[in-house]
Amino acid sequence: MKETFDVAIVGAGPAGISAAYILAEAGKKVVVLERGEHPGSKNVSGGVLYGHDIAQIIPDYIDRGCPVERNIIESRLWYLSKDSGFSLSYRDRVFGTDRQYNAFTVSRAKFDRWYAEQARRKGALIVPSTVVTDLLRDDNEAVAGVVTEREDGEVRAKVTLLADGINSPLAARTGFRAEPKPEQVALAVKEVIGIPTETIGERFGISEREGVTIEILGEVTGGMDGVAFIYTNHSSLSLGIGANLADFATFKLKPYELIENLKQHPMVAPLISGGKPMEYTAHWLAEGGYDAIPKLYGAGYVIAGDSAMLFNTLHREGNNLAMASGKLAAEAILEAFRVDDYSETGLRSYGDRLAESFVMKDLRKYRRLGNFLYRRKEIFNQLPELASFGAREIITVNGVSKKDKEKSILAKIRKGMSIPRIVRLIWQAWRATR
Amino acid sequence: MHIICCIKQVPDTAQVKIDPDTNTLIRSGVESICNPYDLTAVEAAVQLVEKHGGKVTVISMGPPQTESALRDALALGAHEAILLSHRAFAGADTLATSYTLSRAITKIARTEPVQLIICGKQAIDGDTGQTGPGIATRLGCTLFTYVSEIREVNLESGDVTVRREVEGGSEIVRGKIPALLTVELQLNTPRYASLPELVRSLREDVKVWGIDEIEALPERLGVKGSPTLVKRISAPEARKGGVTFDAEQNEKAVDDFLDKLFDKESALLAEILLKTKGTHA
Amino acid sequence: MPKNSKGRHVAEIIPDKCIGCQLCVGECPVAAIHMEADVAKIDPEVCIGCGRCFNVCPVDAVIFEKLKKKELTGVGQRPLPLEDYRGIAVLIEVKDGVPAQVSWELVGKARELAEKLGAPVHGFIVGANVHQIAQEAVAYGCDTVHVIDNPLLRHYSSRAYGKALVQLCEQVKPEVFLLGATPLGRDVSAVVATQLETGLTADCTGLDIDPQERLLLMTRPTFGGNIMATIVCRNHRPQMSTVRPGVMKLPQKDQSRKGEVRILDFTISESELPVVVDFIPTPEDLSAVDITKVPVLVVVGKGACDSRYLPMLEELAQILGGTIACSRPVVQLGLLPYMRQVGQTGRTVAPKIYIGVGVSGAVQHLVGMQTAEKIIAINIDPHAPLMQMADYAIVGDYLKVVPKLVEGLRSRSKGIKVKR
Repeated sequence: MKETFDVAIVGAGPAGISAAYILAEAGKKVVVLERGEHPGSKNVSGGVLYGHDIAQIIPDYIDRGCPVERNIIESRLWYLSKDSGFSLSYRDRVFGTDRQYNAFTVSRAKFDRWYAEQARRKGALIVPSTVVTDLLRDDNEAVAGVVTEREDGEVRAKVTLLADGINSPLAARTGFRAEPKPEQVALAVKEVIGIPTETIGERFGISEREGVTIEILGEVTGGMDGVAFIYTNHSSLSLGIGANLADFATFKLKPYELIENLKQHPMVAPLISGGKPMEYTAHWLAEGGYDAIPKLYGAGYVIAGDSAMLFNTLHREGNNLAMASGKLAAEAILEAFRVDDYSETGLRSYGDRLAESFVMKDLRKYRRLGNFLYRRKEIFNQLPELASFGAREIITVNGVSKKDKEKSILAKIRKGMSIPRIVRLIWQAWRATR
Repeated sequence: MHIICCIKQVPDTAQVKIDPDTNTLIRSGVESICNPYDLTAVEAAVQLVEKHGGKVTVISMGPPQTESALRDALALGAHEAILLSHRAFAGADTLATSYTLSRAITKIARTEPVQLIICGKQAIDGDTGQTGPGIATRLGCTLFTYVSEIREVNLESGDVTVRREVEGGSEIVRGKIPALLTVELQLNTPRYASLPELVRSLREDVKVWGIDEIEALPERLGVKGSPTLVKRISAPEARKGGVTFDAEQNEKAVDDFLDKLFDKESALLAEILLKTKGTHA
Repeated sequence: MPKNSKGRHVAEIIPDKCIGCQLCVGECPVAAIHMEADVAKIDPEVCIGCGRCFNVCPVDAVIFEKLKKKELTGVGQRPLPLEDYRGIAVLIEVKDGVPAQVSWELVGKARELAEKLGAPVHGFIVGANVHQIAQEAVAYGCDTVHVIDNPLLRHYSSRAYGKALVQLCEQVKPEVFLLGATPLGRDVSAVVATQLETGLTADCTGLDIDPQERLLLMTRPTFGGNIMATIVCRNHRPQMSTVRPGVMKLPQKDQSRKGEVRILDFTISESELPVVVDFIPTPEDLSAVDITKVPVLVVVGKGACDSRYLPMLEELAQILGGTIACSRPVVQLGLLPYMRQVGQTGRTVAPKIYIGVGVSGAVQHLVGMQTAEKIIAINIDPHAPLMQMADYAIVGDYLKVVPKLVEGLRSRSKGIKVKR
């Protein structure tokens, strides 16, 4: 098309919109091309956002009507075996007062639309239902915009931001990001179960605006390297489970089976009892960690968010990394405009900013974790069993002497996993997260 | 040439979408779409105006979020969009709806005369197909429903020739302008707007009209103007299973089944086997 | 009943009974009802005591007493007294001299409703050279048949037929007017209802009478069949409804029945009518079959998706006077065209008999056929959802079961012929 823009952004998700907002606010002519019918229609997430990261972009997001489901005041970590499980939870009053909105649940459909609307009000042009199929190159092979599948659909822009998510059909075609290997991706499914607001309040011991998150590890993923979660929304629960794609292929399990088993677990079933399934979606998650991150910028382009595989496996952080990287991308782009240099050199401040930020620091810290979890499947099958066995025996009162109990527990552990092996496991875990 | 299209935003719960990336069902109660038949209507109007010159105005009655359906119509090439939105319009059945829309059309036509009104044949939520004919009756113009082809619009002689789907086939009819047409999906395939067209439509303002703008009598609007009302809603009875015959274990299972079938369903079977029916193969 | 500060009797919600459906919120003409903690609450100072919320509440959670039966003014200020309207009228649709079967089905239903009301059944016949149908209308159950016969009415036109039927309604003043939900019926019913400023409910699956209020209770599916709504038209006459062919039972003809036939005057000028330039009949084409109109469907599922054995399934369909349909995967695999697809993204069907062969019964498929009268399922998997809800489930390999079925049906239906 004849009209040209300063910046073309592919994808109206958290990364793209964060950049669009900052760029539009700074007076740049921005167009955001979104393949879904509206921002958020193609996005799936468990549903937790961090106030700190949104505040970096829109400080008064609450006053502007950011749609919050529940403010998280308690986080739980569950370690489950087939019919039993451990729970570690932390609740703090401060998350309702001084540190309110530290974390909160959102509905992506509502949040993404609100978020995009904020960028639109700043002057960004959000174009939905339009798929970007390729990048435009100039004579020097630098990126000069994008090509969409609509008629007359070339968009020329000085800088292009790729923020088109984990699936990123564009990345595959342009070669900026190698096709992720199955081990670098997790397949997750999520179900939203409708439960009346008061019932959620009773089951979790929270008031209407308060929320709880539950992260789950253990046998629920059928022995595969994976994780599950339960998040509280205003009048529903988000239940999700996912595992490494390569494991799905080897174990031959189906995502639907995983989630059905999860729903029947004695610790999960009472929470969702009587609930109405409202929505079922599936999505990929970037599991590759630091080593899977592609080249993040070049002549005329930068990459942010899931598209850049910026995802923190252990902490299930994707949205905030997307927002943070989107913001940093926008700042780097503004700098390129200031010196009128859109080459790789002109955009290199993006790399620097990312490296200095928590984004890269966290990813570097956990770079070995993905591999560790993938290789050490004991964490997902034997260990939960053994731990449960131990707890079960200790708690059961059956006249057996404590000493005998200890003996039988140790015997079972040794049969399942030798002590040296357990020690090595702990050592490797520490190294992986160091 | 000036054509008005009446469109409706409908909930998407009736249509299940499959996400092509993950091949899973996406069911979401918040989604709304523009009634597919109405998109066909707008496309037909835009094509006519591209041929004869002129303007397409789209109107819709609904709550504020109906704007997105109007934007879909603008993206197809409509020139102006008006949203009829007011608390008093809410809760309308088809009689009150056709009243509200015809008031708006009368107002628009006063300054810009209208030759054609094109609507979808029915909305996929209500499925009544009553609003189009209702508007035509109120305005006193020619009415052609189930239009599958617009053969010709002759502005000089003042008539329109269309192909209508009727029982047993289709008929070619010609009637005087102004005319209201309700269209079938097979009339056309709504275009995929070019990027410049889409961008233009995104920047277009949607006008909002309330009671005052359309000069309507309050007692004819919304709930007050609706003769029908829902007395009761209920869930249809859930089907429970019946009898099972195991053909794997029992050689005579099929015979047993047929015995039971002819015993219990003799009336139904008699009706089916003796019924005189129309065309089917 | 409680009163507000102005002394007006107002309605009140019983919070424990309220299910939060918000139907009352939408009904209230003065916006006196709001939701508080998912339960409706009426502001007594705003409430005008009209009782609409009481009428619409599906769980009787509203306390309201009609203290005096007030005569509400009509929508278009048309004169009521409702008592002036009596009788059930049915449009007898005629095309090329042949009456539509749905008209007889509705006459049968009208007779049933008329018994409850103690009122007569009127047949309305409009067209050219149609007066000879009148006797047949009496035989099917009409007490009086009103005929408008005019050569200009040879072809249907909304304006002409609309004018004729409006005239008949104003002359006869029926309290109920039923029409078949055919293309003609749906078109002209909307024209007539708008002209008479009365209520019209389309595609009803059930009709009944509330004898106390002399109200027609019209039931129809909404939201893809997931909710059944019962609709009434309280203060306007006639109460109009269209019903799809095949929903009501065809009554027995009784040639000995006596009834009155009235031929009425009707004028229309040719200039008011459109010109019918041509008529193109539908070609006989296998792929152009409308599976929603066929009473028996043999539905091919993924478990029976094999072109080699399709003729066998077609034979099964043929014996029962039915046709083949299929589920979505079968269309995706290219075995049958989209026109045959049953389901949420295909067609919704309600046949008398649905036979699923190798159909598992995914939710999207069930939604498109769950109102079938009888469901027969054949599947090797006894736990498939369709097997669980079928009236008759046969566990087995369809390759073995279907030939036995075909044979068994043939031998049992000897002597019963399928008429075409």
